[in-house]
Amino acid sequence: MTEHGSNEATATASSKAAQGKLLTWRHVLSWKIWTKLAKWIGLILILLTYIPLVWLAVMSFSDRPLSGIPYPLSFDHYRELFDDERWIEPLWESVVMGLVVALVCMIVATAVGRAIPRMRKPGGVILIALVPLFVPGLTMGAALFIFIRSFLELRLGLWSIFVGHIVWAMPFSLLLVLIIATRFDHRLLEAAEDLGARKRRRFWDIEFPILRPGIIGAGIFGFLLSFNELLRSVFLRGSETTMPIYNWTMTASHMSQVPIIFSLSTIIMGITLPILGGFFWLLFSKLDRS
Amino acid sequence: MLDYSRKDLISDIRAWYTTAFSGNWVVPAFVAVWVVLVILPLVVMVVHSFFEMKNYQVVYDPSFKTWDTLIETGRWTAVTRTLRIVFTVTLIELLVAFPFALWLAKVCQSKATKAVIITLLTIPFFLDPSSRTIIWRAILGNTGIINTVLLELGIISEPIEWMLFSEFAVHFGMLTPYFPTMVFPIFLVVNLIDDDFLEASRDLGASPVHTLWYIILPLALPGIVAGIVFTLVPLMAAWVEPDMLGGGFVNMLGPSVEAAIRNLKYPMAAALSVVVILMLAFLLVMLIVVMRKQGSMGNIFHAMKR
Repeated sequence: MTEHGSNEATATASSKAAQGKLLTWRHVLSWKIWTKLAKWIGLILILLTYIPLVWLAVMSFSDRPLSGIPYPLSFDHYRELFDDERWIEPLWESVVMGLVVALVCMIVATAVGRAIPRMRKPGGVILIALVPLFVPGLTMGAALFIFIRSFLELRLGLWSIFVGHIVWAMPFSLLLVLIIATRFDHRLLEAAEDLGARKRRRFWDIEFPILRPGIIGAGIFGFLLSFNELLRSVFLRGSETTMPIYNWTMTASHMSQVPIIFSLSTIIMGITLPILGGFFWLLFSKLDRS
Repeated sequence: MLDYSRKDLISDIRAWYTTAFSGNWVVPAFVAVWVVLVILPLVVMVVHSFFEMKNYQVVYDPSFKTWDTLIETGRWTAVTRTLRIVFTVTLIELLVAFPFALWLAKVCQSKATKAVIITLLTIPFFLDPSSRTIIWRAILGNTGIINTVLLELGIISEPIEWMLFSEFAVHFGMLTPYFPTMVFPIFLVVNLIDDDFLEASRDLGASPVHTLWYIILPLALPGIVAGIVFTLVPLMAAWVEPDMLGGGFVNMLGPSVEAAIRNLKYPMAAALSVVVILMLAFLLVMLIVVMRKQGSMGNIFHAMKR
C-alpha cells in the first residue's frame, strides 16, 4: 500500500513539474491559437497521408476503382488477382531480396558499428558510410547503372538490385547499431577479459546482448527499405521484376491492370501495417519501462 | 611448399579466425567496398557526362557536347522548374513542420499521443511509393471522388480540371511523403532544449517572440538544417510524383533522368544527375555557411549536452 502511495506522490510531483514546463512553453507560444494551429495543421497532413491508404482499400472493392464513388461493390478484382499469377514471382523476389538485404545489413552493420567507436578518428569513416543519404535515390540508381552497365559492361540482374538496396539500407542500419555501440562501456569487456573470458565469449555473452536492439532494428530497416525500394531498382533491374517495379509498371502503362494493384496493395498493407504498428507498440512500451 | 602440412593449415585457419574476430580489418574493408560501390560510381558518372553516344555506344572522347545539348534542347527548363517546385514544397514543409515539432516535443504532454503520432509519421517510410501516389488519381481526377461529390451537390457544373495532371497535383502529392523527413530532425533537437533556458528568458523579461527568435530558433537550428537536407535530397530527384500526377505536363529532373536512360542516352542521364548533385552540394554548403553565421556550432552542442 505504502509503495502505491509513494508512487502516486511521485506521479503528482512529476505532473506538477510537467505543468511548470508546460507553462513556460505556453508562455512562449502564448497565443493559444498558434499552438492549436500548429497542432492541427500537422495533424491534417498526417491525416492526408492516411486518407489515400483507406481510400485505396475502399476502392479495391469497387467495380470501377478509378471512378469517384465506390459503387457497385464487388470482389471481382480480388478474384482476378488470384486468377492472375504474374504478381506472385515479383512478391517472392522482393521478400527473398528483403531477407537477404536484412541479413547482410545486420552482419555488416554489427561488425562495422562495433569497430567504429574504438577508432581514434571515426569521423571520416562515418562520413563516407553516410554519403548515400545525401544522394537522391534516382541519382544513385543512375550512377550505379552507368557504372555497372556502361563502364564495367556487366549484365544486370538480381545482384545489381541487391547492390542498390545495400547502398540504400546500410547507412540506416549502421546508424541504428552505432547509436547503441557508442554508449557501450568497454570496461565491461576488459572486466570479462580479466575474468578469463575468451574473445568469442566476450562477444556473444556481453557485447551482442547489449547491441541486440540495434541489430534487430538494422534488420527490420534493411528488410522494409529493400521491400519498398523503387528508385534504384528501376535502373538496376535488368530483366528482373520486384514488387515495387511490378506495381509501378502496372500503374504506369496498363490502365486496365490498375484495379488489381489496388487489391494487391490493400492485401500487402493489411499484412505490413499491423506488423509495423505492433513493432512500434512494443518499442514504445519497452522505452517507457526503461 | 611440401612442408606445408595439415598442422600448418589448422594453425593458419586459427590465426585467420583470430584476426577475423579482432576486427582490425573490418573498417578498412568496409571503406574499400563502400568506395567501390558508392564513390566510384558517382565519379564515373561525372566523367561520363563529358562523353557522347554514337550508334548506341559510348564514345570515350571527352567534350562538352552533352552539356551543350542539355542547354540547347531546353532541358534547362526542367532544372529551373525542379528548383522552383522543390523550394516551394520544402518551404511549406518547414512552415508546417517547425510549429508542429515544437508542439509535439514540448506542448503535447500525453506520452501515448506522442507515441501514436511518431508511429504514424514513421510508417509512411515503408509504404510502396507507386500505390500510395496512384490513388490520388481516384481522388483528384475528373471522375474522382472530389469532383463527383461537388458535381452531385451542384456546387460546380463542370469537373475541376486543375486538380490532376498539373503542377498543383505534383506539389500536393509531394506534401505528405516529405512531411515526416522535416518533422523528425526538428522534433529530436527541440526535445533536447532545456526548459530552464525559456524560464530564464522569461524571468529576464523577454517577450515570447524574443524567446522564440533568440533562444528556440538558434537552438533548433541544427534540426531545421537536418530537416531541410533530408527533405531536399529526395525531392531534388523526385520521380514517382511528377510522373504519375504531372501527367507529362510537369517535366522535372527525375523523369528526365529516367527518360534519358530509357532512350539509351547515358551521357545525358549522367549530366542531368550531375546537375542534381551540384545543386544539392551548393545548397548544403549554403546551409552550413548560414549555420556558421548564426553563432558558433560549439555553443549549440554545449547547450544540447546539458
